[in-house]
Amino acid sequence: MGAHLVRRYVTETDTEPDPARKRDIDPQIGFDVRKEREMIASQEQMNLAQLPLEQRDYCAHHLLTLMKCKRDNWPNFLACKHERHDWDYCQHQDYVMRMKEYERERRLQLRKKRIESQPEAA
Amino acid sequence: MAGVGFRRWAQALTKGKGPGFSALLSGSRAASGPSKDTMVGPCPETAEERAAAAKKYSMRVEDYEPHPDKGEGYGDYPKLPDRSQHERDPWYKWDHPDLRRNWGEPMHWDFDMFIRNRVDTSPSPVAWATACKQLFGFIGFMLFMFYLGEKFPAYQPVAPKQYPYNGLYLEKGGDPEKQPEEVKINYEI
Repeated sequence: MGAHLVRRYVTETDTEPDPARKRDIDPQIGFDVRKEREMIASQEQMNLAQLPLEQRDYCAHHLLTLMKCKRDNWPNFLACKHERHDWDYCQHQDYVMRMKEYERERRLQLRKKRIESQPEAA
Repeated sequence: MAGVGFRRWAQALTKGKGPGFSALLSGSRAASGPSKDTMVGPCPETAEERAAAAKKYSMRVEDYEPHPDKGEGYGDYPKLPDRSQHERDPWYKWDHPDLRRNWGEPMHWDFDMFIRNRVDTSPSPVAWATACKQLFGFIGFMLFMFYLGEKFPAYQPVAPKQYPYNGLYLEKGGDPEKQPEEVKINYEI
């Protein structure tokens, strides 16, 4: 907790990635084939459900089934545990992917720095 | 005829012999109201005048100090220290407890300003310089820390969230005819 802040501001200020800045790392480095993320809910479906913009992410199809389940089972507010869990798990996976992306960028920056400093040493 | 009489009556009114409406009507004075020797007089010059004025206002001659004569119209009214009633002893048994004043005490020229609901001249519990230093020191410190927080924000070590359909280009009001500058593709990891 906070080790990345120490790295960013104190120890490794040049290699620690800044999440606010635009990233210019090639997404294909280190992968043979990289699979694209699949978006299951269509724009039309999300528009009809009037989802707020923050919720129109890659887990929107789970959210749409959850909303439908809640609407069908009202007033039983305890009914949609399975759908809610699916949506929560998808969000969790998304967050873990974000963490992995950050770590990938950090390691690539360190690698770039290592490569640049090697010919000077050699 | 009536106009002349009215004018004479108005002249008699303005030149009435003394205070009180009864004086204006009948020409003689009533016993109510302040008498002439208790009214404010001209500014005292000699020592006897000062002693007489002090006696009139029921003050000691040593305490009596008239206002300096700058033509402002204070006359011989005493100049009392500008202390509000907040500073008087709250536990002493005053004749008028809410005013914290005894009967017959000389009143300040601005007594209505110095009542306990209004202007308070009592000293602050902490020395003024200390209080200022503490307050502005704290505010300055907080502003400095907020500035540092803007300069070095704390964030979670995660990449920004990925959104489909080119970062919700159309949903955020992008032009459907124009193509956006960068088409972003999101990958799994």
